[in-house]
Amino acid sequence: MKILVADDSRVMRQIVIRTLRQAGYDDHDIVEAEDGRDAYDKVQAESPDLVLSDWNMPNMTGLECLQALRSAGSGVPFGFVTSEGSPEMREKAADAGALFLIAKPFTADTFSEHLDGVIA
Amino acid sequence: MTSPAITELLDEAIVQEIADQAWTALVGEDEVLVPLPGELPADTLSAWVAVVGPWTGSVVLTCGRETAEQLTRALLREHAPAVLDDEDVADALGELANVVGGNVKAVLPGPSALGLPEVGVAPRAVASADTCRVDALWRGQPLTISVQGAVLDAVNADPSYGNGVPL
Repeated sequence: MKILVADDSRVMRQIVIRTLRQAGYDDHDIVEAEDGRDAYDKVQAESPDLVLSDWNMPNMTGLECLQALRSAGSGVPFGFVTSEGSPEMREKAADAGALFLIAKPFTADTFSEHLDGVIA
Repeated sequence: MTSPAITELLDEAIVQEIADQAWTALVGEDEVLVPLPGELPADTLSAWVAVVGPWTGSVVLTCGRETAEQLTRALLREHAPAVLDDEDVADALGELANVVGGNVKAVLPGPSALGLPEVGVAPRAVASADTCRVDALWRGQPLTISVQGAVLDAVNADPSYGNGVPL
């Protein structure tokens, strides 16, 4: 299984990848993207099985990336990992087709709760 | 319409709790912020995110440069390079400010927008009535988290790209 991790912070990408491993998802291929535009391009090029994306990013936000992907016909499973977890943002995320929104800071348990049904 | 002062919207205990959660999850399970003031060194670094909404201002994390480097190593763990460059330190401190700021925003009245993290010389604080500041020690080293109202000219100009380096 291939997981695309999109965040403009390299440090946060490392933390997300480490937390995936701590949650037991340690045998998957990881692809990194540094903003929403990069994530959009890499979904097309790499065909990941899941996208874990930050929301607030330069060039293209995570939400804009998800909307662009759905407009282009991609149904790739998509979840947000973001520092903002307000009810309004969760609603926006769900309306755009996101499976879940994990608020930062997160733990390995948080990842397990949201990903167990998504990652085989 | 007068905006509410930050001290009417949250207090130091809420900011401390948010910071504690960020530290435990990101810096390390055993890492604690001791709520005691300390004297910041002369060479400091700040990272902040802007909040623009019914309350407008910034959430600013400030610590000594050496402390910022130690925080960066704690966040990167085994992926920390032997020699950290400024970009790594700015990225790590900015992301800590982003996580704390995002959670501060969540307890403020909305709708509001969060800017991208910036790192550099902190935005100027306004009147103390519109500032909620937490002083803490991490590994014995001082740092401050300040939720401070905006100097309006600076924020209105561009909330995401003020007087620091956009990340």
